[in-house]
Amino acid sequence: MSAFHWEIQLVSMVVATACALPGTFLVLRKMAMMSDAISHAILPGIVIGFFLTENLSSPLLILGGAVAGLLTVALVEWIRKTDRVREDAAIGLVFSTLFALGVLMIAQFANDVHLDIDAVLLGELAFVPFDRLMLFGRDLGPQALYATGIVGLLCAGFILLFYKELKLATFDSALCATLGFLPGVLHYSLMGLVSMTAVAAFDAVGSILVIALMVGPPASAYLMTHQLSKMILYSIILAILAAISGYWAAYLLDASIAGCMATMVGVEFAVLFCVAPHQGLLVAWKRRRHQRWAFAIKMLVIHLLQHEDTPESEQECRVDHLQDHLAWEQPFAEGVVARALSRKLIRSVGEYLELTPSGRNLAHQAMVHV
Amino acid sequence: MSTVIEVRDLTVAYRENPVLWDIDLDVGSGTLMAIVGPNGAGKTTLIKTILGLIKPAAGQIRILGQPYHKVATSVGYVPQRGSVDWDFPTSVLDVVLMGLYGRLGWIRRPGSMQRKEALAALEKVDMVDYSHQQISQLSGGQQQRVFLARALVQKAQVYFMDEPLQGVDATTEHAIIDLLQVLRSSGKTVVVVHHDLQTVSSYFDEVFLLNIRRISSGPVSEVFTDQNLKLTYGGRVAIIKEPTS
Repeated sequence: MSAFHWEIQLVSMVVATACALPGTFLVLRKMAMMSDAISHAILPGIVIGFFLTENLSSPLLILGGAVAGLLTVALVEWIRKTDRVREDAAIGLVFSTLFALGVLMIAQFANDVHLDIDAVLLGELAFVPFDRLMLFGRDLGPQALYATGIVGLLCAGFILLFYKELKLATFDSALCATLGFLPGVLHYSLMGLVSMTAVAAFDAVGSILVIALMVGPPASAYLMTHQLSKMILYSIILAILAAISGYWAAYLLDASIAGCMATMVGVEFAVLFCVAPHQGLLVAWKRRRHQRWAFAIKMLVIHLLQHEDTPESEQECRVDHLQDHLAWEQPFAEGVVARALSRKLIRSVGEYLELTPSGRNLAHQAMVHV
Repeated sequence: MSTVIEVRDLTVAYRENPVLWDIDLDVGSGTLMAIVGPNGAGKTTLIKTILGLIKPAAGQIRILGQPYHKVATSVGYVPQRGSVDWDFPTSVLDVVLMGLYGRLGWIRRPGSMQRKEALAALEKVDMVDYSHQQISQLSGGQQQRVFLARALVQKAQVYFMDEPLQGVDATTEHAIIDLLQVLRSSGKTVVVVHHDLQTVSSYFDEVFLLNIRRISSGPVSEVFTDQNLKLTYGGRVAIIKEPTS
């Protein structure tokens, strides 16, 4: 295992973490599509920054991208406020226009440099180790590691410092404003961070994977917990897992690292969607099944209670009559009776069914709580 | 009785259309006031403008003799229950703690002192047992109680509540009204957007009848008359339930 492998994995983990941090708040603010818009719209900012510095990893590029990102957010908001166009359409209009502008600029002026459309869309993690940070003739490691690491630390610092304010602004921005906090400032700071993360990450993973990493892990984490701090933590863990497993999948399949990472993000979501503790499909299915039996048992005990000590009880309370009276299929009726018997809610006397005291209790309770 | 809320010549416009036209409003301390009017009358807009959430086109607003931002921590606000996402990943106690964020200011986090205060507020709305519940599991009435506790924990002088009885069961409605009356009796000022005309007389001291303009305001016994209601609701039968928005 060469140093390159470790460097690529390290960079992808740092990128994934940096994206998951602001991504959590984007998802909770129902602004996932904004990450799509920003990650594309930063392109003209990057291109202009590149013209000025002729260096793809210059900090000026990050600033240029951040400005373009904030411009996107402001433009979208401005168009939406005119009430002529809805927000989703406004997002679509602004980012595609800005992105197209960036593509045109590359095609017209930057054809001969390492800034081509493929790299913009998908990035190339495999090349990350070739672009190294040299200081006084010493090799300090891949430049991308520093760019994404610094932005990641910035995100982490911002969220740690303003956790309480971000939480309030996200949950209830009206209360946030009335209590004297500045939801607008928080909003634009967060969008600035999203933009900077997108620029820093885009060189490594491209603008499409940025979206996957910002939206995917937080959306998966949301399925696992009902606590914001845990949601952030799980997002980071899931992002790192996707980065590592994506890297190894790419290694084994000899495929694009970025593509495999994005796929793993999707796989994580699909798995959690099925098996998540409270909201997963599996749990929901089990719950429904359990409820079906529980409800049927209640129906049975209520039925027995209604006919207890009545002249017709002899026919009503027979297992083979439940079919007619409760419209149950024979196997289902037998299943319900077996479950009620094992829970000692009823007992069978020959062919008849009789309520036990606890069964009578359940029937009374069930009827009160309708 | 000193004047706590003072609104003069308040006009709020949405583009060129006035949503509130030349509103005057005075509310004293120890008053429980209902704001009543049909849908689109500007009830929520009035509250939001007083709280600085909407910029007025004209007029002055004073709370406790000061502009709103100077007294923000002395003002409690209960927004409409539907204005937030109840699937947000947080607990009941956390939501109540948010009421204390204003007093904490930037960056400082709530500690055990604040948690104690929040639990005491939950006690008042009979929701202590739910303090660690996820808010997504609450019923409508419970959500409203949590919102109320979040305002109570602020220990404010003035409270604005937007339809706190919307969609709650009868038990919760009585519990909330009892609480509001206790607040009023201890000298607080409570302004409530209310939509059930049947209960105005029994619940509130004063009423502000609004339909873009101020129709009338003052003690319920004087102001809450059939004629004023006809003026407010545009001639429709007085005691009918306003359709829920």
